[in-house]
Amino acid sequence: MRLFKTLRLASRDYTHEWQMSGCFVLALAAVLGPMLVLFGLKFGVVGGMLNQLIENPENREIRPITSGRFDMDWFGNMQRRMDVAFLVPRTRSIAATVELDSAQSGRIVRAELIPSAAGDPLLPPDLSVPDGLKEVVLSQGAAEKLKVKAGDRIDGSVSRHFEGRKEREHVELTVVDVAPPGAFGRDGVFADVRLVESFENFLDGRAVPELGWSGARQEDARTYPGFRLYAKSIYDVANLKDDLTAQGIEVRTKAGDIDLVMRMDRNLSAIYWAIAIIGLFGFSLSLGASLWANVDRKRKELSVLRLVGFRTGDIVWFPVTQAFYTGILGWVLAIVIYFGAAYAINGMLVDQLPAGQEVCILLPQHYLLALALTVGAAVVAAALAGWRSARIEPSDGLREI
Amino acid sequence: MENVFRSRNRTKPIVYHLRDVTRDRASEGVTFRLRVPSLQITQGEKIALIGESGCGKSTLLDMLAFIAQPTDIAAFRFRPDEENDAIDVAHLWKKRQMNQLGELRKHHIGYVMQTGGLLPYLTVRENMALSRSVLELPPDDTVDSLARELGIARHLDKLPETLSVGERQRVAIGRALAHEPPIVIADEPTASVDPFAAEKIMSLFIGLAEERNITVVVASHAWRHIKRLGLRRLAHHTHRSQDGRTTETVVNG
Repeated sequence: MRLFKTLRLASRDYTHEWQMSGCFVLALAAVLGPMLVLFGLKFGVVGGMLNQLIENPENREIRPITSGRFDMDWFGNMQRRMDVAFLVPRTRSIAATVELDSAQSGRIVRAELIPSAAGDPLLPPDLSVPDGLKEVVLSQGAAEKLKVKAGDRIDGSVSRHFEGRKEREHVELTVVDVAPPGAFGRDGVFADVRLVESFENFLDGRAVPELGWSGARQEDARTYPGFRLYAKSIYDVANLKDDLTAQGIEVRTKAGDIDLVMRMDRNLSAIYWAIAIIGLFGFSLSLGASLWANVDRKRKELSVLRLVGFRTGDIVWFPVTQAFYTGILGWVLAIVIYFGAAYAINGMLVDQLPAGQEVCILLPQHYLLALALTVGAAVVAAALAGWRSARIEPSDGLREI
Repeated sequence: MENVFRSRNRTKPIVYHLRDVTRDRASEGVTFRLRVPSLQITQGEKIALIGESGCGKSTLLDMLAFIAQPTDIAAFRFRPDEENDAIDVAHLWKKRQMNQLGELRKHHIGYVMQTGGLLPYLTVRENMALSRSVLELPPDDTVDSLARELGIARHLDKLPETLSVGERQRVAIGRALAHEPPIVIADEPTASVDPFAAEKIMSLFIGLAEERNITVVVASHAWRHIKRLGLRRLAHHTHRSQDGRTTETVVNG
């Protein structure tokens, strides 16, 4: 009841002095607004850039330089490692091409065969996975040349010289999806490892009973000359590389680039944290100072309240209530300022950015964090100032003009 | 219980009993000392403290209202009503029981400030009712009838800033009386209005206090018209030390 009375009086004072209150709100928003913009830029620019660099699968790829003989045991062991995100066998590169033809296009397209499987880092996760001997995903370039889209059928063929004759075999393939432009720059066909393997078997003169292609019987256990290997994150690349080198497998990685990215991440983060801490410090200081000054200004009125019998504890709630209002309203105004600035900045740079990416962006939790910081700092400053003015003798407060 | 309260009980009870109470204040190298060797105020008495500003009148009033802490106390007792024993104010100050002192003030004392001390964000009616609302007294026509007697009934729903200084002082007097306290302390309540209005407001104030049998302690620098109202003047004298470092005011009564 007493608390409610204090809150009511504080609110009456706040609205009665709306011009002064407005100034405090403006002063708060003038500091908090640019801070939000700064954070939005940090989050948008650095976050976006880092994501691009970190998420780009090329940076996580580990390629063997020389060909080896990797059996299924080796693949099984490697796939079980926690730092391996994706691993499939690769056939000899000379065998890994296929000629494609479609009803819509008059030309034959030579495309690279890329062994793929679920979780292929080059393909977005929402794309269909080519499964079995009849399905493929085409790179954008190949799909354009063939004038096909997802769901269309195309003809894939390979030829070999076998027992002195030139032979060509065809297989009808369903285009289950088309990869986005960034996935693979050349004409490529993402296919199940078994399909890629079948083509190599055929070229090597062996039979492929599943597709009805004749040839010699498969005898020895299958080994592969290479692999497509992606680390779980860029931070795992160095370790994987060391392990493979220790096994005698020479590999090429983007470790140098990764190091650069990580250094940049650290440096930019350090810069932004420095700015953020200075900004936050200044922000708390300005907020605290203005609220402190406000309590000092009101000391006489607070003393009057004590004169009529309000308790010390009640008095503290008076500036705290008003600081709470200032915090909330200042935060709202700062967000309005931020939205304006972010809209302008993003609009200015919209042509230079990939679709959907924004330079200035904040997540809901950032707004809530700003609110918590603002209201927290405001309430603490006001409580301290209120406590101080409640401690002085009321007679001193009353005599001040 | 002290003898002083018993001995006078047959006549009128003593509200304030002070013995050797002093308060020192230092300002710009000069120490101002207020010394009260002995002061007793009986119930219903009307006391006037007359003197130039700066002599320590306000300090005494603030000590009587428990909003200024004495530096030294031999005895300071307060007995707002006959039913209860005297309260040892010296002890409360020593223990820094600010909230208990606040409770005493809230229940028993009305205070009229020199500059009104009205809250600018509350209407005249709300300002006057403030002392009642803090005590959670039920709303009744006390404020309205007081306002009529003080001649400010038509201003009840206005904000203080729209009122003249004299009208504001009337509101301040109304606030000090609204919760029907047994004691009202007024610090130069008419200092900032013209002499004619001052006299009118002062006699209105004393008249209202008389009707309600309220103990009044009022400070003023104009004795002439206060004398006519029948107030008891408190004797005090001020002297300055030779080096000018200390100014001492002694109040007795």
